[in-house]
Amino acid sequence: MSSFLEIKKQALKELKGAKNLKELDRVYKKYLGRKGEVFLVLRDLKNFSENKRKEIGKEINLIKKDIEDAIKEKQKILKERATDEIIKKERLDITIPGKKIEKGHLHPITLTLRKIQEIFQNMGFSIVEGPEVETEWYNFDALNIPQDHPARDAWDTFWLKPKNLKLLLRTHTSPVQIRYMEKNQPPFRIIAPGRVFRHEATDASHEVNFFQLEGLMVDKDISLANLKGIMESFMKQFYGQDIVLRWQPAYFPFVEPGLELAMKCRTCKGKGCSVCGNQGWIELVGAGMVHPEVFKAVGYNPKNWQGFAFGWGFDRLVMMKHKINDIRLFYNSDLRFLKQF
Amino acid sequence: MLFSYNWLQTFFNKKLPKPEKLAELLTMHSFEVENIEKKGKDWVLDIDILSNRGHDCLSHIGVAREIGAVVNSKFQIPNPKQIPNPKSQTKDFIKIEVKDKNLCPRYTAMVIDNVKVESSPKWMRERLEICGLRPINNIVDATNYVMLETGQPLHAFDLDKVSGAQNQKSKIKNQNYKLKIKNIIVRKAMKGEKIVSLDDEKYQLDTDILVIADQKEPLALAGIKGGKKAEIDKSTKTIVLESANFDMKTVRKARQKLGLQTDASLRFEHQPDPNLTLLAINRVAELIQEIAGGKTAKGVVDFYPEKPPSFRKKRGVKLDLDYVERLLGIKISKKEIIKILQSLEFEVFHVSGSMFHVGVPTFRQDISIPEDLIEEIGRIYGYQKIPAVLPLSSLIPPKRNDEIFWQDMTKNILKEIGFTEVYNYSFISPNQLSTFNSRFSETIEVENPVSIEQKYLRPSLIPNLLKNVKENLKNFDEIKIFEFGKIFKRGKERKMLGGVITGSFYELKGVIDSLLQGLGISNIWYDEYKSTPEQSNINIWHSKKCAEIKIDNTEIGFLGEIHPKIIKELGIKARPVVFDLDFEKLAKFTSEEQEYQPISVYPAAVRDLAILVPLDVKVVEILNKINSAGAKLVQDVDLFDIYEGEELPDGKKNLAFHIIYQSKEKTLSSKEIDKVHQKIINILEKDPEWEVRK
Repeated sequence: MSSFLEIKKQALKELKGAKNLKELDRVYKKYLGRKGEVFLVLRDLKNFSENKRKEIGKEINLIKKDIEDAIKEKQKILKERATDEIIKKERLDITIPGKKIEKGHLHPITLTLRKIQEIFQNMGFSIVEGPEVETEWYNFDALNIPQDHPARDAWDTFWLKPKNLKLLLRTHTSPVQIRYMEKNQPPFRIIAPGRVFRHEATDASHEVNFFQLEGLMVDKDISLANLKGIMESFMKQFYGQDIVLRWQPAYFPFVEPGLELAMKCRTCKGKGCSVCGNQGWIELVGAGMVHPEVFKAVGYNPKNWQGFAFGWGFDRLVMMKHKINDIRLFYNSDLRFLKQF
Repeated sequence: MLFSYNWLQTFFNKKLPKPEKLAELLTMHSFEVENIEKKGKDWVLDIDILSNRGHDCLSHIGVAREIGAVVNSKFQIPNPKQIPNPKSQTKDFIKIEVKDKNLCPRYTAMVIDNVKVESSPKWMRERLEICGLRPINNIVDATNYVMLETGQPLHAFDLDKVSGAQNQKSKIKNQNYKLKIKNIIVRKAMKGEKIVSLDDEKYQLDTDILVIADQKEPLALAGIKGGKKAEIDKSTKTIVLESANFDMKTVRKARQKLGLQTDASLRFEHQPDPNLTLLAINRVAELIQEIAGGKTAKGVVDFYPEKPPSFRKKRGVKLDLDYVERLLGIKISKKEIIKILQSLEFEVFHVSGSMFHVGVPTFRQDISIPEDLIEEIGRIYGYQKIPAVLPLSSLIPPKRNDEIFWQDMTKNILKEIGFTEVYNYSFISPNQLSTFNSRFSETIEVENPVSIEQKYLRPSLIPNLLKNVKENLKNFDEIKIFEFGKIFKRGKERKMLGGVITGSFYELKGVIDSLLQGLGISNIWYDEYKSTPEQSNINIWHSKKCAEIKIDNTEIGFLGEIHPKIIKELGIKARPVVFDLDFEKLAKFTSEEQEYQPISVYPAAVRDLAILVPLDVKVVEILNKINSAGAKLVQDVDLFDIYEGEELPDGKKNLAFHIIYQSKEKTLSSKEIDKVHQKIINILEKDPEWEVRK
């Protein structure tokens, strides 16, 4: 019997001494393995009487279990110690820059246009488009801007060869109004974003091509109050509820009355600064009630319909939004600029 | 235009609001005041007169009339006093001859004798300077002063310098020569005629230009500028004052031709009221007598054969107050509407019910329809006071614009793959065009380009995209960009999607696959680029590294390397790979439908297969054979290696595939897989040039 206890004692001692999982495994094999000490004792049991065998067997099983438990216990400790070791050894420098994942970028004008479109679509406006090469009729005459009229001076125009075709690069998105009304009957509400062209010298705030957004709503009794309602709602959704807006008289041949919407400069609070060109106010949108001549040009009876139209160039809006000081950055495709968006 | 605050005040008995307040009121009700500046005891207001009011408001009187309505204060134009010389009459000095009354509806002239030309008094000089005009002498200053006051441009000629009839030339020494009647002629210039202007510039004239002439030659460019010949100088004694009305289109055309815009032409281009000439000429006579002495001859010579229809009598516009309310969206009382219209000098007559008849003064040429009057009512009442009301309209859901929807989707996909969006100019230069040679036929030329760099409309997105590559290679090693934009050919305008990478053909092909797959397009295939004979030497593509992208049988664009010659000419230090898609065509094939493919519950097994084939064998030929031999059990074939090299037999390349075997019905045993795999090998090796490597 004492040899059993001796085995147990010896086993526990060696167990205690095991420094790692490998040594522990050796201890396991030495005592509980297929040719281990406990096994050897059990093999000798056949030399004992039946009763004795039962008695010893019981005892050996207890010892076996004790050793097993001790090994499990030790194993747990050693495993923990081993993972502790890993953590102890491993480290990194969290200040090293993260691995660069190359992603793509959308143009800042696209990003702003999407926001504008979303707001108008939520207010029931559909998006339509029109051609960039236009006829004189769609760009001017149908919009109540007759030839040789000083009003035409407001739109410096690129003409295309051959001159007798009277083709031009549209100076505004307003021709889309005409094209849409020719093919559709009211009621409707549309916006028409797109590229427009002005024949002027390029500098930090002028470009030969830029983006404009046109809007048009026509129904039985659309009023100037409705124009204010839609535009003010849009501006608040786009800029925030706290903006200050004002409506002032303006002249565009294709609307009557004609108005302009201006926003108090948010940088200087109306005092005048570089953002607003020292005006305190930033002119945002030209607008007004559709001129009866325009309705006539598309074959509507002006007595039956009322509507409003608005339009604005939004390159400047994008510039203000991102504090960009040179409009040319939009069109020279410098990736150092574009990858910032 | 610049305005003097003190001058504006002279038309009112009541004190005007302070300059800042006045500016704000004008901005909100009439015209934007862009700047206010104090100058001495006066303030100068820079007012942006709207272009439909140039005929009456490029003048202090016009703006004062607006102020009267806006601040509700009585405004008055003082009546000019005259001290005529009883001995002489204007018609004894001059005769007016207008060749075409359509080009000069009115010509009013007056003569003042014995004037003393010197510098004008300080008060006048100051007002001119405040309004941005340079004082010259009392006569010229008086005409400019009255132009700023009334909006009527005026001109003064030295009568002694005006040539009389040719045959009278010899009698000039006669002391009575002044009494000879001289002709002032308004006519079209003759081709080849010349004039030297007051500021010593020489102008070549032609028949589009209207001039004021004497018997001999032009004295002035009508409505634009005076000439040197009859200039007022220190020795001038007798002057002829011109207060005329010229056809706006004629002045505009001449001004554009001569490249000469003046204070006078600016006003005439807006067709001032012809009834203004008399008021202005009397006013300038009054001022000249006051500051330059002299005696005004009695009466004027007034050519005014026929008032233009719109000026003939007071025009009337019918106004329905119900429509005023419907269009503005607010009810303004009858009393207030009448008050507003009267304050702007409209005459208002009640017809019946809500109907009124409004008489329009001749100086308001911009008013002809009810909407014009409604604008007057709205702005003077105040747009700010009109409530912002969302429209009550039938609920029609906005219609989705599919092209824009798919365009946005495309942009998102390309962005996810790592592309950056660019917007290039819609123009290209002659250099760019010649690099691509006549490769773009039917290119549209701009009649009046801003610069040589922008002489043509872009016939393709590619030239500018390649320019972008060249520029950006200075800062980046790797470039992936795309652009959506219109291209232009004679009679055609198309929305294109183009892109370029500094990578390989296969990389970009993968991009196109992912993109089109993302757009729900499945039947994409790549066809050999076959150039037609006339195209063969003008191809922009590298003919061996280019493919046509097709959906079913429709060609939607190209993918490939640009011809090395072009790349060299452009000086690009890389081999960019480009794609060019017709987005309008492409958008027709897009689909949002997507059907789920059941995932097999049975395990898949992978076998590799390497094969030696001749160099010109295409991968698709091998894939087709593998797929047909493997039938349903081959779930996927994946090319993972292509090798061409010295170790291989001449003219051969090695291709290696993973073949994925899987059944939808059961777990395949390795025996079954081996059997199919062997079948594939057998079929591949039917071609004696092909050798599966074991």
